[in-house]
Amino acid sequence: MRVTDLLKEQGIQLGSKVNSKKQAIEKLIALQVASGNIADEQRYKDAILAREAQGSTAVGYGIAIPHAKSDAVKCAGLAAITVPTGVNYEAVDGKPSDILFMIAAPPNGDLHLEVLSRLMVLLMDEGFRKQLINAQSKKEFLKIIDKKETEKYGEEAKTQADSNATYRVLGVTACPTGIAHTYMAAEALEKAGKEMGVSIKVETDGSGGAKNVLTKKEIADADGIIVAADREVEMARFNGKRVIKVKVSDGISKPQELIKKAVSGTAPVYTHAGGEISVDDGEKESVGRQIYKHLMNGVSHMLPFVIGGGIMIAIAFLIDTIAGAPQDSSFGTYTQAAAFFKAIGGAAFGFMMPVLAGFIAMSIADRPGLAVGFVGGSIATLGCTFMAPTGDAAAVSGFIGALIAGFAGGFIVLFLRRVFAFLPKSMEGIKPVLIYPLLGILIMGVFMCAINPFVGWVNTALSNGLNSLGTEYKVVLGCVLGGMMAIDMGGPFNKAAYVFGTAALATGGYDIMAAVMIGGMVPPIAIALCATFFKKKFSSDERQSAMVNYIMGLCFITEGAIPFAAADPLRVIPSCIAGSAVAGGISMAFNCGLMAPHGGVFVFPVVTNVLWYVVALLVGSIISMLLLAMLKKNKATEALPIQNK
Amino acid sequence: MVSKKLTVSNAQGLHMRPAGLFANAMGKYKSDVFLNVKGNDVNGKSLMNIIAACIKCGTEIEIRCTGEDEADALAKAVELIESGLGE
Repeated sequence: MRVTDLLKEQGIQLGSKVNSKKQAIEKLIALQVASGNIADEQRYKDAILAREAQGSTAVGYGIAIPHAKSDAVKCAGLAAITVPTGVNYEAVDGKPSDILFMIAAPPNGDLHLEVLSRLMVLLMDEGFRKQLINAQSKKEFLKIIDKKETEKYGEEAKTQADSNATYRVLGVTACPTGIAHTYMAAEALEKAGKEMGVSIKVETDGSGGAKNVLTKKEIADADGIIVAADREVEMARFNGKRVIKVKVSDGISKPQELIKKAVSGTAPVYTHAGGEISVDDGEKESVGRQIYKHLMNGVSHMLPFVIGGGIMIAIAFLIDTIAGAPQDSSFGTYTQAAAFFKAIGGAAFGFMMPVLAGFIAMSIADRPGLAVGFVGGSIATLGCTFMAPTGDAAAVSGFIGALIAGFAGGFIVLFLRRVFAFLPKSMEGIKPVLIYPLLGILIMGVFMCAINPFVGWVNTALSNGLNSLGTEYKVVLGCVLGGMMAIDMGGPFNKAAYVFGTAALATGGYDIMAAVMIGGMVPPIAIALCATFFKKKFSSDERQSAMVNYIMGLCFITEGAIPFAAADPLRVIPSCIAGSAVAGGISMAFNCGLMAPHGGVFVFPVVTNVLWYVVALLVGSIISMLLLAMLKKNKATEALPIQNK
Repeated sequence: MVSKKLTVSNAQGLHMRPAGLFANAMGKYKSDVFLNVKGNDVNGKSLMNIIAACIKCGTEIEIRCTGEDEADALAKAVELIESGLGE
């Protein structure tokens, strides 16, 4: 069935001068009769009018499609008129109709619906409607329809093939902290997909767990998969699919490019090798980036333990402070309530190193790595050596030891996998249940006992060194760490400072953590302040989104500043670095201490010397704000009154 | 997001009148309403889109509603389709 088969030249009138709905209907019926489609004109007209009485058949966009199924129809057919001046056809949108098709259909069958459907598909295109109205002759009118129908038919066939895929492109986004980048990348991809007309679904593997999870069927049906992640995501499910693996920031900055590549089918096919490090992706990831990714997998899993435990311990100290407990070794467990919080917090803290090492190893070697890394991390905390197998306080290799254990664990399992590759397929099952755990943990134990004395020494020296630093050096350290937080706002510099801060927590370097957090809080707050007090520096859109930065900043989500930094990096980033560095320095100078690695303003109650901490935040933010105000150019094009809307 | 699969039972399918009824009713909800017809998503608030999808009698469709009033929207959509949209 084709529209051009149903519509004859006799059934068309171009440039019709009808000026009412009634006239239009009569004209169209006359054309139907002229085309020889109607057996009983009066009864057909009654059917058409009865249909119109139920509601106008004008569907908007200047289109009306009066229609009737009736036994008064001799053979199915169409009639069409164009009304350049428009005729009031009682459309829902109140606009005049300028293209009218009338359908005559026999009472039985789906032909009526098919014609209706096809007309809709064609008429949805505004350009097509314009062409029809401007057609100079009936021949041309038919030719335009024929061309469009052929074109659409081809396209229909194509979309039919695609339609098996609910989504042509799938995405997974994940970043180490799972708070901001994950969702920004997902949003960017979805938006780009919409703009490009490519159906896309994006799974976000954020800190709150995976949302919008991809189903098996969706994966099977997709043309391409975009993995924009800075840590390991579940990859086994993409085996055999075309997968593009990129940094999460690429998902934010070049979503179109990624989608284009995913649709083109040129992405390499991913083969899941059970956790070989990034096997295949065409362009090999740099070593530095791989290390960063593994490290971040560990850190992101460790954080909840540190946050929960750290705050609990801080509460314990707070209670004892209020209770006036003596400042000796019993401080923090002096009162019953404090002891309670300290014990729970301590239990959580106890998992820090094992979880860190375990998930670094898992990132490298997949699931078999987990146990090996876990045990390694635990041995690092215990400080086991060959001389003192149950642990030696001087050989506790702590955070550094756990890092080493994590990477060692991963490579031990990879090594075992290679060594035992000779085993027949039938023995495959025995590897994860016997060989990897047994030999892996054994090798790990030997390895850790061997390095613990040395790393333990380094660790002790480092923490002693940090603790004995003179105030002026501490201030410099605070400035550097605070400033680093603002350099890339969630990127490697920021994370390096942050990881250093959390590592310091483990050895009691609470002042370091405090300087790090304050440095991360300044940039968003400074931008929000600047948008509040120096309105001219921002466009109205920017100002609106800048308000959210108050909340972001107070929650220690530095990422909030990224859109502004990205829009104007040369001015925004230095301003932020300066303020963050000052804030970090002040925090350090007044010995502010923070036992939780996250939480922003919500953990202020447990910050030591909190008043100076607030001062640090204010001073840092104001410095950044003033610098921003000085450096940033006015958005002069916009007049203020209009922005008030 | 809530969804439900059901079969269109109108003898003539979702032609203009029932489609218009459906699209208008759905337009009152804040949620996005999609009809999945043979793997294609169709905007359930657009008369043109529904008609263009050519949903015949006996076609299985999946109605998906996403938004704050999704449950109400889906309930209404299901009620409309099951009641035959006044036919």
